[in-house]
Amino acid sequence: MSAHQKNRYENDYKPDENRNKGASRWSHCRKRGADGSLRKSHAIEEPGKCSQHSGRPESFTTPESEGPVSRVKNWGDEVEAEEMRSNVRNDMHRYRRRILEADFPQRERKISSGSSDSRDSRDSKESPAKGDIETDETTLIRRQKQINYGKNTLAYDRYIKEVPKHMRQPGVHPKTPNKFKKYSRRSWDQQIKLWRVKLHAWDPPAEEGSDLQQIEEIDLGEIMDFELDVECSADTESQCPTSSGKSLSLAEDSFTGTPKKMMKTEDAEMS
Amino acid sequence: MDSAWTAFDVVTQTMLQKAFDDPKTVDLEKLSNAIVDQSLKDLSFCKDAGRMCYAVVQAEAQKAATSVFRRNLLTRLQQEFTAREQTRNRSVREWVCLVTFICSIFDYIKVNNAPLVALVDPVYDCLYRLAQPDALINEEEVDCLVVQLHRVGEQLEQTNSQRMNQLFYLLRDGFLLQEDLSSMTRLLLLEILEFRASGWTLTDTAHKRSKEYFMGERSGIPV
Repeated sequence: MSAHQKNRYENDYKPDENRNKGASRWSHCRKRGADGSLRKSHAIEEPGKCSQHSGRPESFTTPESEGPVSRVKNWGDEVEAEEMRSNVRNDMHRYRRRILEADFPQRERKISSGSSDSRDSRDSKESPAKGDIETDETTLIRRQKQINYGKNTLAYDRYIKEVPKHMRQPGVHPKTPNKFKKYSRRSWDQQIKLWRVKLHAWDPPAEEGSDLQQIEEIDLGEIMDFELDVECSADTESQCPTSSGKSLSLAEDSFTGTPKKMMKTEDAEMS
Repeated sequence: MDSAWTAFDVVTQTMLQKAFDDPKTVDLEKLSNAIVDQSLKDLSFCKDAGRMCYAVVQAEAQKAATSVFRRNLLTRLQQEFTAREQTRNRSVREWVCLVTFICSIFDYIKVNNAPLVALVDPVYDCLYRLAQPDALINEEEVDCLVVQLHRVGEQLEQTNSQRMNQLFYLLRDGFLLQEDLSSMTRLLLLEILEFRASGWTLTDTAHKRSKEYFMGERSGIPV
C-alpha cells in the first residue's frame, strides 16, 4: 500500500479524540461519531479527507438504529441506504413539482382578480404552502422507513388490490401519511400507528373467513358519526365490541378536544 | 451474456432462468454465491458477470420488490475483498478475477442510475494494489489494471478525482522509474497515461504510437 493509504488507515485507529470527530473513509455514512456527537457532513467525493463542511449530515441513522456502529460498514447496508436516500430525493422533486403545478393556476387568478382569500392558505390538509414542506433528509428517510414497514405487509398488498385509489373514501380507507408535510415527531409517529392499525383490517383471514366482511361493516357504521379528524381505530378486532363502544362515547365527549389522547387510551386497551 | 451462462452447470442455469421469471421461488443467496464462485475461477466469465447480476437485481426488484440477491452479492463481495491480499498470495489469477469482477459489478449495477458509492473506495484500493511495484512486474496484473481503467476509469474519476490523480502518480512513477518492467508493460502504461490525459478516449496519435512500439520501430522512453 502506498504511504498515503497507510496514513489513512492509521487515522482510523489513532486512539485520540480526533478519531471520533474527524473523517475516516467510512464516516460519511455515520451521523454520530463514536462519542455520540453529531458529525458534520462530508462531501461524498472525498471520503478520506478531513474536510469539515457545515450543514446537515448526509448519513443515515435513526436514533433507534440497532446495535453499535461498526467501523467498517456492510456494503449491503450502505447500498440500501444510498438507494433510500436517492429515492427520497426523487420523491421530493416529484412532490415539489406537483405542489407547484397545483399552486400555479391559483396564483394566476389571485394576481389578476386581486382577491385575497385563496385556497392555499392554512388548509394544511391539501397542498401545503410552498415553504412548508419537510426537507430534512434524515427525517424523510426515517419516515420513509416507517412507511416501508407498513407497506411491506400482506395486509397492505391485499388492501391495494382490493381498493383502487380512486375508490378510496377518506376516513374509511387508510391513507399513507404524507412524509413531506410538517409534523412534530409525536404527531407523525401517531399517524403511522393509526394507519398501520387500520391496515390490519385487511390482514389475511386466520380461521373465520367472514372476519373481513364483518369488520368493514362495523367500520362504516361507526365512522359515519365522526368528524374526519377523529379516526377510529376500533375496527381491528371483531371480538372487542365493548372497547369500540367505549371509544365511541369518549370520542363524542372530546370531539373538539384531544383525539390523540383518546387514541392513546384506546391503544392501551387494545394491547 | 448468452454464452456466459453456459459456463454454469445445469442446476445453476435453471436457477438463473427461474430467477428472471419468478425470483421469489429461487434461493437467491445460493445463486449469488454460484455466480461469485464462477467469477473467481473464470476470467472471461467475470467480465460479463456484472451484467448478469444486474439483470437478476432488476428482476427481483420489479417482481418481488426485495433486494435479497444484491445484498448477498455485496456481502460476499465484501468478504472476498477483505481477504484480497491472501487471495493474491495464493493465486494471482484469482486475484485478477476478483478485481475484474468487482469492477464489473461497479460498472453495471447502479442505484437510480448512479454508481454504487460504497464500491468506489474498494475499487480504488484494488487498482492501487495493482499499481504497486511488485504487481507491475506481472503482465497479468498490469493487463487487468489497464483493462479496468478503460472500463470504469471515467466513472471512477467522476466520483473521486483526487484518488484518480494519486493512482496516476503511481503509474507515472512506475513507468519512469521502475527498471524491471517489460516493454509490453511500459507500452500498456503509456497507453493508459495518454488515454486519461485525452479525456478517457483514444486519440489517433496514441493508437499510432502503440502500433509502432509493438512493431519495434520505437525504443526508449519518451517523456
